[in-house]
Amino acid sequence: MIKIVKRDQPSRAIFFFTPVLAIFLTLVAGGLIFFILGFKPFEALKFFFIVPIADKYGFSELLLKATPLCLIAIGLSFCFKSNNWNIGAEGQLTFGAIVSGGVALLFYEQEGFYILPIVILAGAIGGMLYASIPAILKTYFNTNEILVSLMLVYVSKLILDYLVVGPWSNPEGFNFPETRQFSESAKLPLLFEGLRIHAGIFLALAAVVISWFVFYKTYLGFQMKVSGFSLKTAKYAGYKGKKMIILVFLISGACAGLAGVGEITGPIGQLHREISPDYGFTAIIVAFLGRLHPVGIIFASLVVAITYLGAETAQIFMQIPKYTGQVFQGMILFFLLASDYLLFFKIKFIGLKK
Amino acid sequence: MNTNLKISNVTKIYPGCVANDNVSLEFNSGKIYALLGENGAGKSTLVKILSGVIIPDEGKIYLNENNLKLNSPLDAKKNDIGMVFQHFNLFETLSVFENLIIDSDEQRESLREKIDTIMKKYNFSIDLNIPVLNLSAGQKQKVEIIRCLIRSPKVLIMDEPTSVLTEQETSELFLSLKKFSEEGILIIYITHKLKEVMQLCDEVAVMRRGKLVSVSEIKNENVESLANKMVGQNLKTIKKKKAKTSSDQLIKITNLNFTSEDPFETNLIDINFSVNRGECLGIAGISGNGQSELFRVLSGEIISEKNSIEFNNNYIGDLNPQERREYLMAFSPEDRLEQAAIPQMKIFENVALNNFKSSNFFNNGLINENKIKEHSKKIISDFNVNTDNIELKSQFLSGGNLQKLIIGRELITSPDLLICFNPTWGLDVGAINYIHETLIKINEQNKSIILISTDTDELLKLSDKISVIHKGKLSKIMNAEEVTSEKLGILMGGAD
Repeated sequence: MIKIVKRDQPSRAIFFFTPVLAIFLTLVAGGLIFFILGFKPFEALKFFFIVPIADKYGFSELLLKATPLCLIAIGLSFCFKSNNWNIGAEGQLTFGAIVSGGVALLFYEQEGFYILPIVILAGAIGGMLYASIPAILKTYFNTNEILVSLMLVYVSKLILDYLVVGPWSNPEGFNFPETRQFSESAKLPLLFEGLRIHAGIFLALAAVVISWFVFYKTYLGFQMKVSGFSLKTAKYAGYKGKKMIILVFLISGACAGLAGVGEITGPIGQLHREISPDYGFTAIIVAFLGRLHPVGIIFASLVVAITYLGAETAQIFMQIPKYTGQVFQGMILFFLLASDYLLFFKIKFIGLKK
Repeated sequence: MNTNLKISNVTKIYPGCVANDNVSLEFNSGKIYALLGENGAGKSTLVKILSGVIIPDEGKIYLNENNLKLNSPLDAKKNDIGMVFQHFNLFETLSVFENLIIDSDEQRESLREKIDTIMKKYNFSIDLNIPVLNLSAGQKQKVEIIRCLIRSPKVLIMDEPTSVLTEQETSELFLSLKKFSEEGILIIYITHKLKEVMQLCDEVAVMRRGKLVSVSEIKNENVESLANKMVGQNLKTIKKKKAKTSSDQLIKITNLNFTSEDPFETNLIDINFSVNRGECLGIAGISGNGQSELFRVLSGEIISEKNSIEFNNNYIGDLNPQERREYLMAFSPEDRLEQAAIPQMKIFENVALNNFKSSNFFNNGLINENKIKEHSKKIISDFNVNTDNIELKSQFLSGGNLQKLIIGRELITSPDLLICFNPTWGLDVGAINYIHETLIKINEQNKSIILISTDTDELLKLSDKISVIHKGKLSKIMNAEEVTSEKLGILMGGAD
């Protein structure tokens, strides 16, 4: 007989075990879906999760996709830890890319070591500006940050659309909706010849280290933790709530903006309509899969990045639409939320007895 | 129709503690039984066994000679055992009626009739159509009681029902309980408030550390004898020495007003008072008359006009709690688990919630963990918190120990004024005594206290001056010796 018993205290081990369980269940369910579609489950899963990263190129692609996910998720964890629900990282990414792209275009056909830092900084500032909108509306006008940040995503995408079609479109570009290619000095250096992995990964790693330090060693981190548990307590302790809300949104926006910079000055090299395959939304899954812990987020971003790559290989070799990747991302979140049940309850197998 | 409930040799063992050790008890309808004991004495475990929430390791329950198998709360309901828990199990956003019918499969209309009959019979007046969140604590409890009565129970168990009630609501509850008892419902009343036992019950069973200590008739007992049985030692009675009258004014509140945007909060109207050094000002009142708002205005969670609060010759009305702490104020809020402390955090982290600058808990924005831990150890030993592990999450502390930790955290900075709100709410006698002694000690050191409390006995015991808050207004301030609990009661009811 199976019995479900409430746990007295969620154990630390189970806290990190449930994400692993969620990934395992996702694989099982994914295999089942492939089977129903008429593929051999193991082979299909191999195409999805192993083949894409089996060689050097594939591995570089994995890191390339994991970089923005990790960066954004780190930024989001500042918000989520302190009870602020920033759902609009995709918009902050887009706006950061717009600002940094604009700056990069200013330096069109110019070279110089100073260009890249300015472009990167512009991206971070763009993200921060965009994130400050929901933050200020929340602190001073009591609006709901979930709605505002989400709706701003679509605004930013439309701004980008307008710019690449209109004023910023490449004069020699035969009316394609894209800007000029940035100059070499405005691009992030590639790490290896022939691979697309670029220096943006260091931004992500720096964000991981800094966030770990802030979360666990600083007064700000402590205040975030307290506010995350109870806003009433934060108020009683006398923390400056408004200042902190704005600060975490700015940090989160800067990270998303930097991710946008990484995309356009890295693999893309220009602005066009599709600069992000919804990294900003997927990073929400990454943040929770990684338990809002910097190290957890590294692993989670790698796992979720595979779903992007796997979807592409599956499309090429098995003629499955690449949206399967999103199905897998959805399943991960679904199973993660479901297996979080185990945080508070345990399953006991008890023998039948009279 | 007589009801007989028998608990026979019930044992329940948790890892590291025997919650019920071979307990046998017998109850008969027509009487109201008290189950008395300190927090952790095992009374909650026992009633959870009776209501099917917990399954005992050994022992049997008989209702009218039938052996009951109580594997779930549903089994208890089916066997006509109703239970009203200390914390309400209501859906705040659903209407009263929806809450009442939610676990019933009878027709809505016949239920409505039934509910109307019950309400008429016991003089309950609650609008069935408004959402539960608009009800006062006493009304919510009535909803819970009605929910039990719908099933016409044979046994009604009340778990510390008065901890959230005002005095008036309490006496209403007692009247209803007596009526139920006359009608043949067997009532088991769990509490650690001795006076209530004396007032309400016919027989009392005392538990201590999982064991049944005594069963006796109320007429053979008095408050002192019950307290001794409950605590297991002769309690010292605390007497406050008359404070040296000092005319050295510490805090002065002038024309303080607060208008809330929240319709469920109470506005404060023209509050004026002052407290001298070494004095304890008690503020009495029925809960919900502006105490929480007053506490928040005094602590700085709600900012007011700069000049409305003068502390130690500084105007501090516009400062937040952290800034006020620097002027040597300290605060102990009512809600231990949701405001004063964070249960999921470790003891030493909770200590760091009081960020007093010269404690050096945080330097240049960095956490100084060693300093915090050092302080925490001192608090734990100075204030008798029953643990030696400061890494323990504070959820594992009992209410009394948590309150000691909070008071200790606030006092470690040696503040000139401590503002506390219901500091002994829900605590057992031992812990209450300890907190009271601590508060008296503060006054003896020529420091001041503002004690906002709904416990009149506590106020009369500790205060030098007393005022009553009613609908956001303070009564005139009276000397404690001249005040009787009757007088307070009248003022709390809003009469002059």
